[in-house]
Amino acid sequence: MKWAIPVAVLSVAGLVPVWLYSPGAAHEGEINEVAAPPAQEQQTVPPATTTAPKTTGSAPKTGGSTPQTQQAPQTQQQQQNRTVAGPAVNTSEGTVQVQVTLQGKKIVDVKALRAPNSDPTRMALPLLKQSALKAQSADIDTVSGATATSEGYKQSLQAALDGAK
Amino acid sequence: MAVRRVEHIMGLPISVDLRDGDAALAERAFAWLRAADAQFSPFKPDSEVSRLDRGELTRDELTPDLVEVLSLCDWYEQSTGGAFTARVPGRGLDPCAVVKGWAVQRAADMLRDGGCTSFCVNAGGDVVVSGEPEPGKPWRVGVRHPDLADRLSVVLGVRDGAVATSALYERGQHILDGRTGKPVSGILSVTVLSDDLAIADTTATAAFALGRDGIEWAAEQEGCEVFIVDEDRQVYSSPGLPVHIC
Repeated sequence: MKWAIPVAVLSVAGLVPVWLYSPGAAHEGEINEVAAPPAQEQQTVPPATTTAPKTTGSAPKTGGSTPQTQQAPQTQQQQQNRTVAGPAVNTSEGTVQVQVTLQGKKIVDVKALRAPNSDPTRMALPLLKQSALKAQSADIDTVSGATATSEGYKQSLQAALDGAK
Repeated sequence: MAVRRVEHIMGLPISVDLRDGDAALAERAFAWLRAADAQFSPFKPDSEVSRLDRGELTRDELTPDLVEVLSLCDWYEQSTGGAFTARVPGRGLDPCAVVKGWAVQRAADMLRDGGCTSFCVNAGGDVVVSGEPEPGKPWRVGVRHPDLADRLSVVLGVRDGAVATSALYERGQHILDGRTGKPVSGILSVTVLSDDLAIADTTATAAFALGRDGIEWAAEQEGCEVFIVDEDRQVYSSPGLPVHIC
């Protein structure tokens, strides 16, 4: 169950760049831009991929010895980050809507705006296997069933197994 | 020496099947169950439970055993949002749903501590097994079919563990949801496998009280494998359930 949201979120997140990279302005309308910066600003920003370090620290943690690299991307972020809300997507787990923050062409943050965690019933189902009820007879040692009263015991399978008279 | 014995205690037929124990050991286990009935039955006026319910005992005066039982009741009541409760409004304190599995598990522990390595205890459909009935074979625990009294819906192969089932087999019976006071619907039968019957039995009862919500709730309980039949005769089972192929 704990994987359902991350998996759903990542699946949807994976689609967002596809929408964004679709050529043609017509697609812009389909995307609900929450905090889109002016187009002009986007053009003036140099390509981030070569110069800006990753904000989601993949660098080894050295106990704050690299404050410079931590600072640098934050100032750039304010200029070039775009936050885009994806469409609400119906999944088998419920409705999922993610918000993606882009730095240049890179996704730097994904946040679930809507996740189906309000419905735990649906979420947990993949934990369980489903099948149709069968009726069988088999050699067994004992029977588990709803609390048998002493009265009901006389006719029960367990009584037969116990050899009770 | 093998011992087989059935005695009716707490209104339940309790079967003990010892493959390598003796009659004295079996008697010790039955004596404990009788004592537990005397101490915890809400139907006996001089039981500790009845005296607590009448206000003759304070929390400080309770035995550690009753404190343990009441703690289990509280835990499951909180965990189910009140669907499971030992204190139905308008009725007295009734911890029976916890006491039965808890007391039978302790009886099983006494058998094990007494040196018995292969046994099966069945208390009104709630089961504790230990070891193997025959070398190389697990205990075959059949789960009663919810509609057909003489048929099984699944057979589990269990070596050391507890299996409990909560179900309604006949029309007219009902279990109330402690949250609403209304009869539970949605589920026909809940079977829980755990390493402790107090947990297996209470989890099964609490899941049943939750109705459909109990399917996932039970599956998420730590250390529990479930086999649940809903009203549509759909079966939900844990991937780790040790289904025995006959």
